Amino acid sequence: MKKIFSIGLALLLVNWCLGQDKGNLLIKNGTVLTVTKGTLTETDVLVKDGKIAQIGKNIAAPQGVRVIDATGLFVMPGIIDAHSHIAIDGINEATSPVTAEVFEGDVVNPLQIGIYHALGGGVTAVHAMHGSANAIGGQCETLKLRYGTFDGDAMKMEGAPRTIKFALGENPTRVHGGGSGIVPRTRMGVEFVIRQSFSNAKKYMEDWDAYNKNKLVKGFRGAPPAYNLRLETLAEILKGNIIIHCHSYRADEIFMLLNVCKDFGIKRVVFQHVNEGFKVAPELAAYGAMASVFSDWWAYKFEVYYSTAYNAAILTRNGVVTSINSDDAEMMRHLYHEAGKTQKYGNLSDDEALALITINPAKQLGIDARTGSLEAGKDADIAIFKNHPLSIYGVPQFTVVDGIVRFDRAADPADMRLMVDPKQNLDDVTFHDKNVDHCMEGTEFLFSDLFQADKK
Amino acid sequence: MKNFQLVAGFFTALFCAVVFHLEAQNAKGKYGTFALTNATIETITNGTVSNGTVLISNGKILAVGANIAIPQGAEVIDCKGLTVYPGMIDSGTNLGLSEIGSDPRTQDFNEVGDLVPQMKALTAVNPNAVAIPVTRISGITTALSSPRGDMFPGTAALINLHGYTPEQMFAGFEGVVLNFPNTGRRGFFDRRTDEELKKATETALKKLNEVWERAVQYHKVDSATQGKNAGYYPEMQALLPVVRGQRALLVEVNTSKDILAALKWIKEKKIAKPVLTGVAEGWRVADQIAKSKIPVIAGSVLEIPTRDYDRYDQAYANPGLLKKAGIKVAIRSEETNNQNFRNLPYHAGFAVAYGMDRREALRAITIVPAEIFGVADKLGSIEVGKSATLFVCDGDPFETKTQIKQVFIDGWQIPMSSRQTQLYDEFLKRDPGVSKK
Amino acid sequence: MIESIYSKNFRAWKVALAACLLWPAYLFAQDEKPIAPVGKTYAITNATIVQGPGRKIEKGTVVMKDGLITAVGAGVAVPAEAIVIKGDSLFVYPGFIDGLSHTGIAKPKEERDTRERLKDPGNPTNERAGITPQNDVRTIINPAEKSVEELRNLGFTVSQVVPYGNLLPGQAAVVLLGGKSADDMVLVNNSALYSELTGAQNAYPNTIMAVMAKWRELYKNASLQKNYQALYASNRNGVGRPVTDRVYEAFYPVIDQRMPVVFKSERVMETQRVFTLKNDLNFKLTIGDVKEGWPILNKIKSSGASVFLSLDLPDEIKKEEKKADKKDAKKDSVKTEAPKKEKPKTAFDLEREALEKRKKESIALYTSQPAEFSKAGVTFGFSALSVKTKDIPANLRRMIAAGLPEDEALKALTISPAKLLGLEDRLGSIDNGKIANLVVTNKPYFNEKAKVRYVFVEGNVYKQEVAEVKKADAKVSYKGTWSYTSETPQGTATGKIVLKEEKGNYSGTISSNMMDKPADLKDISVDKETISFTFPFDAGGETLTIEVTITVDGDTFDGTITAGPNGSFPVKGTKDPKF
Repeated sequence: MKKIFSIGLALLLVNWCLGQDKGNLLIKNGTVLTVTKGTLTETDVLVKDGKIAQIGKNIAAPQGVRVIDATGLFVMPGIIDAHSHIAIDGINEATSPVTAEVFEGDVVNPLQIGIYHALGGGVTAVHAMHGSANAIGGQCETLKLRYGTFDGDAMKMEGAPRTIKFALGENPTRVHGGGSGIVPRTRMGVEFVIRQSFSNAKKYMEDWDAYNKNKLVKGFRGAPPAYNLRLETLAEILKGNIIIHCHSYRADEIFMLLNVCKDFGIKRVVFQHVNEGFKVAPELAAYGAMASVFSDWWAYKFEVYYSTAYNAAILTRNGVVTSINSDDAEMMRHLYHEAGKTQKYGNLSDDEALALITINPAKQLGIDARTGSLEAGKDADIAIFKNHPLSIYGVPQFTVVDGIVRFDRAADPADMRLMVDPKQNLDDVTFHDKNVDHCMEGTEFLFSDLFQADKK
Repeated sequence: MKNFQLVAGFFTALFCAVVFHLEAQNAKGKYGTFALTNATIETITNGTVSNGTVLISNGKILAVGANIAIPQGAEVIDCKGLTVYPGMIDSGTNLGLSEIGSDPRTQDFNEVGDLVPQMKALTAVNPNAVAIPVTRISGITTALSSPRGDMFPGTAALINLHGYTPEQMFAGFEGVVLNFPNTGRRGFFDRRTDEELKKATETALKKLNEVWERAVQYHKVDSATQGKNAGYYPEMQALLPVVRGQRALLVEVNTSKDILAALKWIKEKKIAKPVLTGVAEGWRVADQIAKSKIPVIAGSVLEIPTRDYDRYDQAYANPGLLKKAGIKVAIRSEETNNQNFRNLPYHAGFAVAYGMDRREALRAITIVPAEIFGVADKLGSIEVGKSATLFVCDGDPFETKTQIKQVFIDGWQIPMSSRQTQLYDEFLKRDPGVSKK
Repeated sequence: MIESIYSKNFRAWKVALAACLLWPAYLFAQDEKPIAPVGKTYAITNATIVQGPGRKIEKGTVVMKDGLITAVGAGVAVPAEAIVIKGDSLFVYPGFIDGLSHTGIAKPKEERDTRERLKDPGNPTNERAGITPQNDVRTIINPAEKSVEELRNLGFTVSQVVPYGNLLPGQAAVVLLGGKSADDMVLVNNSALYSELTGAQNAYPNTIMAVMAKWRELYKNASLQKNYQALYASNRNGVGRPVTDRVYEAFYPVIDQRMPVVFKSERVMETQRVFTLKNDLNFKLTIGDVKEGWPILNKIKSSGASVFLSLDLPDEIKKEEKKADKKDAKKDSVKTEAPKKEKPKTAFDLEREALEKRKKESIALYTSQPAEFSKAGVTFGFSALSVKTKDIPANLRRMIAAGLPEDEALKALTISPAKLLGLEDRLGSIDNGKIANLVVTNKPYFNEKAKVRYVFVEGNVYKQEVAEVKKADAKVSYKGTWSYTSETPQGTATGKIVLKEEKGNYSGTISSNMMDKPADLKDISVDKETISFTFPFDAGGETLTIEVTITVDGDTFDGTITAGPNGSFPVKGTKDPKF
C-alpha cells in the first residue's frame, strides 16, 4: 500500500542524486543576518557542496571558488513562502469536497517564469499548494527554486515532509454547497465533511490492517478491501505522516478544526491566512498549532472584513509560530517588505520580523533543520540584499539555492524564459490579476455566471 | 444557487448594516488652532525646514518656518524628532465605493452600461466606510475615488478622508473616466484568441469614436442654443465639460500599443485636459508620452511584468523611467480589491528602490497629483494659505517601519484609530485567555 | 456503405490501370460496379528500389503476390501472371508507418463544453470521467474516413490508431491503411492501452493531478482484483465470487507487461508526468506524438520507453509576416518623418529583433528534435496524431534540413516503427515475405518535387496521379547563368552558377557571397532534369567539398546543398535572361 509512495520517493532521491547541482561559494564581508544566531557584521559565509560550511571572519577563498563581495550588503537566509501556487499546473481539483489523493508534486512545472520572478525577491523555497475549493484539498509540494531545470522532480525539496491543504469557510461552502448543491453549504457542513472523512479513513485503515494480518495466516483466501487512494492519504494524516495546512479565516472555524484534530489525535496543523487567528491566539499557542498569515490583506471578501494588520504581531506575542506568506506571484517577490510591515503594525524586532519569512515558515513545512537560518551545516539557501531587507529600499542582488547563484541582479539578461512558445504572438500582453484569491483558480466552471460578474 | 446567493446576500447586507452602524463611531476629529513645534518640515515645494513650526488654524496652514510665534490658545504638539509632510494623495482608489471585494452588494463603482459618464462617484461615496480611517491614519489624506467598468464608467471625484457628507469630503476635482480600448488580456482567465481580441478592440475604438462624434455634436447644438434646446442626454451632458476643455479626461490605458493609440486619439480629438492612468507599459513608449506632454498617473507599481520576457523588475522601474523621460508622473496604489490604499507610500518606495529619485517619488504622491487635479493651491505641499492637510511621522514615510503620529485633514486633527487598531488593542492580550477564569 | 468504399478504391484502381494502358475499354465500360482485380500479382520493374535505409537497388524489380513481397532484386524474373508497372525513373520505398493517430476514426462532435452540469461532479460515471479502457478501437474504425486516404496518399500504409477521448479512451490497434472493413484493416488488435493526461470536463478527475491519482488507483485495484481472481480460479469453494469489472480487466495485459500503455505526450511536462506514472507502476510504456522531447532527451533515452516523435512542427516565421511586423513596429514608434535609409534602430526595434530571434531559435529546436534524437541513438518512429496531414512532407524536409540524415528519416518512417510495434518480421522494409506495403515516387521521396505515384497496401494498389504529360520539346537546358539563393546557418548564400555544355560534356563555375572568388564545378553529372556537382569551399583554412543537386524546371531550379557534416540546405535559383 505504501509501496507506491515509497517507490516514488526512492525514485525522487535517485533523480536528486543524478540531476542536482550543488555549488561552492564564498560570500565575503557582508552583514550576516543569521535570524537564529544574531547579526554578524563584516562576516564571511563559506558554501561547500550546497551547504553552509562555515560562517566567520576572514575566511580564505578555496581555490576556484566564486567569491561574492558583500561589503555593504546584507546576507540573509533565503526567503521561504509557506503559501504559494507557483510552479504547478493546476491548483484546484474542485469537483469534490474531499480530494486528498491528488498531489501537486505530480504537476510541478519548473518552466514558469514566476519562479525566476520569485528568486528576484530573494525567495529560495516555496510551498506549492493545492487551492482552497475543497474542505480537504490535495497534497502540496515543498519546492526549492532551482530555476533552470526542465525536470519537475529536480525542483522538489528532497526529504521535505508531506503536507496537505484543507480549507474552511466561504470557499468550500461556495464551491460545493453553492456551486453543486451538496454538503458542505455551511461551516457546520465543513466540519461534518472533515470528521466523516477521518472516520472513514480510520475504518479503512482497520480493514486493511485486518486483511494484512489475516494474509499472514497460512491458507487465508479472503478478498482484499478495495484500494482507495483518498482514504489511504487521509490515513497517513491520522498516522501523523502528513502536516495539515488549513486555509481558514474566522476564529470559530479555526477553533473547530483544532477540536477535530484533538479528537482524531492529529498534532501537526498549520493554519493558512487565518485572518482572525489573533482572536484565538491563546488557543492556537496552547495546541501548538502554527499560523501563516498575510501581512495586511483584508476586505476582499466578507470573512476577512474583521481583519487587522496587527495579526502577525498579536500571534507572535502570544507565542504562536507565525509566518507571512504571499499566496500571490507578485507579493511573493517582496515578502521581506511584507515582514517589515509587522514593525509598523506591532513593533516586532528585526529578528522577529525576519523569522516570519525564514525560520518560521521552515518550521511550518518541517524543513527547519535544513533551511530558514544561516547556520553551518544548513543548506546554502541565501539572499543577498543591498540595504537592509526590512527597509523599503532593500533590493535583492543575489539569490543562492544550494550554493548555486540562481539570480544575479547585475548579470542576468532581461528575458529569462527557459522555453519560448514557438507560436508566440509578440504583441500579446497579460495583466496580473491583482488582489484576487488565487486559491480559487480552477473553480470557474462552477460559477460561470458569478465569475463573469466578479471579473468586471 | 440563486437562492443561496439571495440568502447569503440578505445576511451579508443585514450584518453589514448593523456593523457599520456600530463601528462608524470612531473618536471624533478635533478642530482648532494647532502648533506643530520642533519639527522637521518637508514642504515639498520650498525645501526642508528643520526645527520649525507649522501653525494650523481655521483649517488652513497659517505659518510655516523656524521662528513662528505661537498664538494664545493654540494646542502645541511637540514634534521633536518627527517630520511633517503634506498629506499623501492616492490617485487610484475606490474608497467609499466598495466595502467588501467579493460582495456585489457592497460595490458601488461599477454601474451597468458602457456609456455612463453621468454616474458620479461623489454621490455614492460612503463617508463611514471602514477603509477610510484605516487609510488616513497611514498618512493618506486624500484619494481619487474612481468608478470602474466599461468604456465610460463614470466621473471620479477627489475626496479628503474626513467628513460626514460627500460635500464635506469633496476636495475640488472631478474627472471623467475613459477605459481606452484595451488589447491586453485581463488575466489568466482571459482566453480570447488573438483575432477575437483584435476584433473586440477595433469594435470598441469604433464605438468610442462614435460616442465622441456625438459629444462634439451635442456641444455644437448646446452652444448654438445657449443650452436650451440640446435635449436631455445625460451621458452627453457629462461629457460636455470634457469636450469644452473644462474637465479632465482620465484615460486608463496600459499596453504600449494602446498608449500610442490613446495618444493619437487624444491628439485627433483635441482633448484639452487628458491624463493617462495605469500606463503599465509606459516605459516602452516613454519618449512618445513625453512628447505629448500629457501627465501620467502610474500604478499599481507592485506588479509582475506584463510580458513574460520583460525584465523581472520592469513594473517597479516604470515610474522612474517615465520620470527620466521627462513625463509628469503621479503614483497610485490601485489596491482596490483589498482596500489597501495605506500601501501607497510603499508603491512610491519601491519605485525609489528600483531607480526613481526619492524626491520625485515623494512629489508623485503629493504635489504632482495636486497639480494634475488642479488643486495645488490647496493640497500637495506645506505652504502658508494651503489647506492644513498633512501628517507627522517618525521617519521617512516610505520606510516600512515608520509610524504615523498625527494626521490633519482640512485642519481637523484626526483620531489615530481604526477598526484594525481597535482589534489590536482588544486582542493583543485577550481576556479571558484560554481558560475563562 | 461497402459499395461506397469499394467505389473509392475502385477509382484509384481505375486510374492506376489506365495509366498503365491495361484494358482501358473494359474498365471504362463499367463505371459503377466494383471490379475484382485480375489476380493479385504485381511487378514493378526497372525502378530504384530502396529496400530500407542504405539498401538501394538500381534498376531493380519487386514482385508482390497475394499481399506479400515474393521477390526483390536486380535480376528478378517477372511472373507471367503479373501486372507490370514499368518503374523506369521511379523510386520504391517500404510503406510508411505512423505510430499514433486517430486515422480512420470520426472526430466526435464538440459536446464537451455544452454538456449538462452534473449534480455531483465528484462521482461521474466512468464514461463521463473518460475511463473506458475496455473500448476496442475496431468498433469505430471506418475505412472510408477521409483521414485514411489522406495519410495513405503520402505513402503511409500502416497506423497505430486510438479512439478520441481523455484519460483512458480505449485500446489501440495497428491497422493497414486500406481495406473493406475495420476487421479487414486490423493487423494487430489491442496493440496498446491508450491514455492521455487530460481531465474530464467539469467532472472528476478534472485536473492532471487528479487524472494521475485516478490512474494509480485504477491500476492498483486492477492488480488486486487480478490476484484475487487468480486465487478464486484456483479454488472457488468457500471464497466470495470476485465481481467482474471490464475497466480493471482491461489493465490485466498491462500488468502482465504483455501490452504497453501508449500515452499522448506532446509537452515536455506531460512526458515527465507519464514517466512518473511509469516509475510508480512499472508498465511497458510508449510515448506518442512527442513534440518537446529535446530538453529531456537523456531522460527519455534511459526510460526505455518506445518513442514516436510528432510530425507536427510549429510554423516557420514567414517572410511577409516579418515585413508586416516591421511595419507595425514602425507604426508603433510613431515615426512620422519620411523614412530615411539609415534610420537608427529604436529600443523598440531592438527588442523586437531579440524576441524574433528567440522565437526563431525556439522553432529551430522543435524542427531539429528528430536530428537530436537520431544523434543520441534513440530509436524512434513518427506519429501523425496532431499534424495537419498535408504538412507532413514539408515538415519532413524541414527536419532533414535541420540535420536529420535522410536515411534516418526513412528509418523513422519504416523499420524503426516496425520494430517499436513488434512487427519488423512483417513490415518496415522491402524484403521477401514481408507484407507488400510500398510507396512509389517519381523522385527521391524527400525531394520537394517528389510525387507519390503508387501506394501498395498489402499488395493492393492505390494510385496517386498520372505522370504529368511531358511537353514534346521538354528538353531541359542547363546552359546559361543561374542566380541562386540558399538559407544556411551562416546566413543567406547568394551567387551565380555558370553552366556550359560542349558535346554532352558539362563544365562551369559557381560564385558566392561567402567565397572570395568563384570556384570550378567538379563531378558534374546529369540525369534528365536533375544535375549534380561539387565544388571546393574554403571554411577557414579547411577545404570542404560542397555537394549540390538541383532539379531544373524551365527557367527555375530547386535543390539541395550539402556541406558535409554541417548539414543540408535548400537552394533555389532562376535563370538570368539572355541579352
